[in-house]
Amino acid sequence: MSTPLADLARHLGPSLAAAESLLAEVRADRTRLPVVFPGLPRRLGRDVAGSGRTTLGAGTIDLPAFRRCDLGAAWLLLATAASADECFDLYAHGDIEERAMLLRALHVLPTGPLTTRLFGEVQRTNIVLHLEAALCDGDLFARMVDRHGFDRTAANKLLLKLAFLDLPLHRAFGAEQHANTEFSRMLQDLATEREAAGRSVWRDTWRLIGMAPCPGTAARLVGGLEHGDDGVRLAAAEGLLALRRADLRPFAAERLPREPREGVRAVLQRLVSG
Amino acid sequence: MLIFEPHIHMFSRITDDYERLSLAGVRAVLEPAFWLGQNRTSVGTFVDYFETLIGWERFRAQQFGIHHFCTMGLNPREANDDRVNKDVLAVLPRYCEKDSCVGVGEIGLDDQTPKEERFMAEQIELAKRHALPVLIHTPHRDKKKGFERCIAIVKDCKFPMERVLLDHGNEETIKITRNLGCWSGFSIYPNTKMDPARMVAIVLEYGVDKMIVNSAADWGVSDPMMVPRTVVKLEQAGVPRAKIEQLVWKNPIAFFAQSGRLDEKALLQPARSNLRETFDGNSVLRGQDPDKV
Repeated sequence: MSTPLADLARHLGPSLAAAESLLAEVRADRTRLPVVFPGLPRRLGRDVAGSGRTTLGAGTIDLPAFRRCDLGAAWLLLATAASADECFDLYAHGDIEERAMLLRALHVLPTGPLTTRLFGEVQRTNIVLHLEAALCDGDLFARMVDRHGFDRTAANKLLLKLAFLDLPLHRAFGAEQHANTEFSRMLQDLATEREAAGRSVWRDTWRLIGMAPCPGTAARLVGGLEHGDDGVRLAAAEGLLALRRADLRPFAAERLPREPREGVRAVLQRLVSG
Repeated sequence: MLIFEPHIHMFSRITDDYERLSLAGVRAVLEPAFWLGQNRTSVGTFVDYFETLIGWERFRAQQFGIHHFCTMGLNPREANDDRVNKDVLAVLPRYCEKDSCVGVGEIGLDDQTPKEERFMAEQIELAKRHALPVLIHTPHRDKKKGFERCIAIVKDCKFPMERVLLDHGNEETIKITRNLGCWSGFSIYPNTKMDPARMVAIVLEYGVDKMIVNSAADWGVSDPMMVPRTVVKLEQAGVPRAKIEQLVWKNPIAFFAQSGRLDEKALLQPARSNLRETFDGNSVLRGQDPDKV
């Protein structure tokens, strides 16, 4: 029967024997958990755990973003039924890599108040590795919204950090379902601020605001069709498609013959066809 | 020439020092846990300090392209303090397993008390359990006797000599350590301990095998540039470049690589640096534009 523990064990492959030895050590003496945890990368390896997308427990993850030690951390915490306090202790006293391991393990562990608490830690700091570990390459964010005290306001702030650090939306599986008008306003304000400073804007801005428009969205999307960046034009076209406003079709029709990129043209064609 | 600075307390230094070190070719530093200039009153301040060594200080070094390693331990001065000594020993195992921890230290003797000896021996056992080398601080007063006592404790513990670095040596102690199989460390100071000219004389007489030089720079009158300065003096004295490289790069790497957590190849590239990142919300930029630093 497939269980998260069995699935993780399968992905650990040749590192399973070392992981089992560490588990025995912790089972014999619970106080060894914080001593064993920092050594996981050295003992289980930092190589990529596999290829493709897979379901582990309640979560779905992209295996190439997870290393054997990350999955080993999840396996060890599950096998020892580590409490939220024990897990937070590992995070609080861990170095940058240990914290990243624990955040990646969250994708596989049952969600709970610990997940919300650690999302808060990630929000408070500005370490790209940690934001990626918590939010990217899995569906943890999407599974957490409106659960365990992780409310929409907190979700908006965390997702805005993805924009702030320019990490692509598609890496946080299902996060686009979280589109809402308040988040669109936050994104548009950030975009205006960045443009005033002559800095680049998160491309997914155009994609997301079309799903939950707020004042200014239509103008920003239409303007995006003329942007010099191919990715922005594609996102703007997709945003307009999501917006479903017939009165904006003429802008797509006008742009279509001048658009050099096939992928963008295909979306514009769908817009024009209604 | 790349330099591995094997004993420096960057906790007590400023970002200008990191910049100067980096420009002088210092690619990696080793920061031993030590006495902070005044006694601590609870184990909690040790925990916070240890976490600075694996966290903020490592991050700070990386901003200047410098790899940061540490050794963990209870220093001899505070081994005498019953408010903290046993509790620090109890928390050390978790910190000995941190990835950037490549040894136990600095342990050793200061006033040469029975308590210092007991905690030194206990920490040598700790090093055995974690398969780590030990960095031994030797006394500044009654040094020769202190060296001999440190060596006797290491032997009593049946700890392999090749995993021992006896630090803060001088012209007298090299005569004791030369044929022991341990590593001999020399702290080059502006006025006290050793100076570059005396170090040159020692190298000319004894060579560089199992010799290590450091600045031991801390919060006192000390100079983080002492290893680069010594390199210049050695070159001027005609010591072959390969020998100097062995002294300031190969030797410290060989010693601390016995931890299994240090790889010379990884050190050939500067540490990763992303000036846009912060650690616990804190950067070293103080409002400067990261693109212009």
